[in-house]
Amino acid sequence: MAKERRLKGIAVSKGIVRGTVFIFETKKIEVFQTPILSIYIRKEIERFEKAIKQTKRELMSIKERINQEIGADFAQFLDAQILMLEDKEIINTVKKNIKDEKKNVEYIYHKVLSNYAEKLGAAKTLYLRERVVDIWDIGMRVIRNLMGLTHSSIVEVPKDSIIIAHDISPSDAALINPSNVLGIAIEVGGQTSHTAITARALEIPAVLGIEGLLNKIENGEVVIIDGDRGILIKNPTRGRIHFYEEAKKKELEFEKTLSPYCELPSKTQDGRHIDISANIEFFAEYIHARKYGAEGVGLFRTEFLYLTRRGNPTEEEQYRVYDTLAKRMKPQPVIIRTYDLGGDKIVTDYHEANPFLGWRAIRVGLDNPDLLKIQLRAILRASANKNVKIMFPMISTYEEIRRVNFILKKVMEELKAKGIEFDDTLQVGIMVETPSAAIISSHLAQQVDFFSIGSNDLTQYTLAVDRGNEKISQLFDHFHPAVLRLIKNVIDAGHDAHIWVGLCGELASDPLAMPILIGFGIDELSMSPISIPKVRMVLRALTIPQCVEISEEALGFRTALEVKRFLRRTIHKKFPSIEMVVRKRGEKNE
Amino acid sequence: MIKKKVTILNEHGLHALPASRFVKHAEKFKSEVKIIKDGIEVSGKSIMGILTLACEKGCTVIVICDGKDEKDAMRDLSKILEGQD
Repeated sequence: MAKERRLKGIAVSKGIVRGTVFIFETKKIEVFQTPILSIYIRKEIERFEKAIKQTKRELMSIKERINQEIGADFAQFLDAQILMLEDKEIINTVKKNIKDEKKNVEYIYHKVLSNYAEKLGAAKTLYLRERVVDIWDIGMRVIRNLMGLTHSSIVEVPKDSIIIAHDISPSDAALINPSNVLGIAIEVGGQTSHTAITARALEIPAVLGIEGLLNKIENGEVVIIDGDRGILIKNPTRGRIHFYEEAKKKELEFEKTLSPYCELPSKTQDGRHIDISANIEFFAEYIHARKYGAEGVGLFRTEFLYLTRRGNPTEEEQYRVYDTLAKRMKPQPVIIRTYDLGGDKIVTDYHEANPFLGWRAIRVGLDNPDLLKIQLRAILRASANKNVKIMFPMISTYEEIRRVNFILKKVMEELKAKGIEFDDTLQVGIMVETPSAAIISSHLAQQVDFFSIGSNDLTQYTLAVDRGNEKISQLFDHFHPAVLRLIKNVIDAGHDAHIWVGLCGELASDPLAMPILIGFGIDELSMSPISIPKVRMVLRALTIPQCVEISEEALGFRTALEVKRFLRRTIHKKFPSIEMVVRKRGEKNE
Repeated sequence: MIKKKVTILNEHGLHALPASRFVKHAEKFKSEVKIIKDGIEVSGKSIMGILTLACEKGCTVIVICDGKDEKDAMRDLSKILEGQD
């Protein structure tokens, strides 16, 4: 038997799975060229027509699937693809060229498409240039059909597969079918890449950033993906398989003990209620939110709408998504955050040395008020459901929130003038994720109805650590005393101004952080839906006076390590019932 | 045959969605439909042709409709080009 090999990558989505490798390649096929005898020209043209028809059937069935599983809005790009496929100009040019040049259809078709792709690739607008991807998407599908090759389409992945790829584009990621895909491993990407977010959203274990992966793995082999430790195991030994089966069993048992907490109230032992809500990225995740007992959507990220559409969705398209989400979650609240996009997604040829310190999120929105207004109109219209709140990302100055509020007010006036219904009492909040916002939160609190602390970015900016950088990622620690002090400052400032304060970073689902956050007086915690039962279990074991005492003592320590040691000790002594959850955290995160 | 100058108002130019809407509408008419930009002429019934014109926001194109239903076609199609989404 072949020797076992462990391929190390970045753990981005938890869980352990064993499955069959399905290599998803977007590599171009070599298109061959061969002369055709005049008598076979008709046959060649028939072959072309057949391939177009077959391709159309395939695209229609993909469209049908997306329609059913993700929503009609997401299937629109396929309409454009079908039109491109059936474009008469292209079809007629190909037929004519086959007659004139007497070459095989694969070669002629490829050449005609290259011509269009080249013209489109020269366009100044990014959206138009990106259509080149569509041209080759369809073109290669047709050529593969002509050559009798099978497609390695992500939609058609067989059951129990582990997807192995160099990369997965956002539009492909949107098509991943969680009932067939057990795990994902790709060569590029990190924690915040689209594949990572998708994998977490769909609860598919994933390991990213494995260099040279495609050279080491073959289609059809059986591998293990350990999404907790970030490794892929090739040719696992019998012992290893046994080890993982045991681990999986334990995992399932753990989930079973947690399952009652999907339904129990989110209350401390002494009766204080804390809202536990869900962070979601795709509309369809509201199902997870409900399944795990979320008390609302604490963060609906809207970037995905923009990225899958590869451009700004219209007001109507956005409205439909926001409105449906609000209706499905009713009466629970839904907090919709405006685009948190980097400038490179909005403007062609935009590069910057330091995107995290650059032109992004609300900064882009304020510079493109039309873009922002379309989104605000869509959110406001959805607020007619009376359970929608609006949130702005990456506020770092007082002027920004003033300007944003001004724009929002204008949009409201426009809607009112047109007689369009919306909730004029809807709450408006901001993400507090820059140290500057955290420090001047007492001023910002005068302008908003709530704060949501984005602990990941707040930690990254406070500690000046890019967690994606392996050399320094160990410095990223949200228990750093500086981060804890900022969080306390924000909560105090919020409460002094009588507004509520939530937290929606990873810290919200870290059981070790709970006594501190509760002690500080946090009102809401928002997290990935799967973490909800675990957090609720911890919450229900705590009492307010104990948490206040713990949080005060925690603030006295000098290092993140001291804080964590203290918390572990305290939980061991005072809350033995939740030690299991905390220890589990230790296994995975450190 | 009728000709009309139209300015593209869509924020992102004539991208895939409005272009596909244009083609779908153009196909409903018997008239021949052409779009000319900077001297380059493409069929209004070809999405690829339209996309390769790379019509950005603010640029002007000439739409030509030629056939029995040219008036209806022009009315319908120029509305799409002037649309905001």
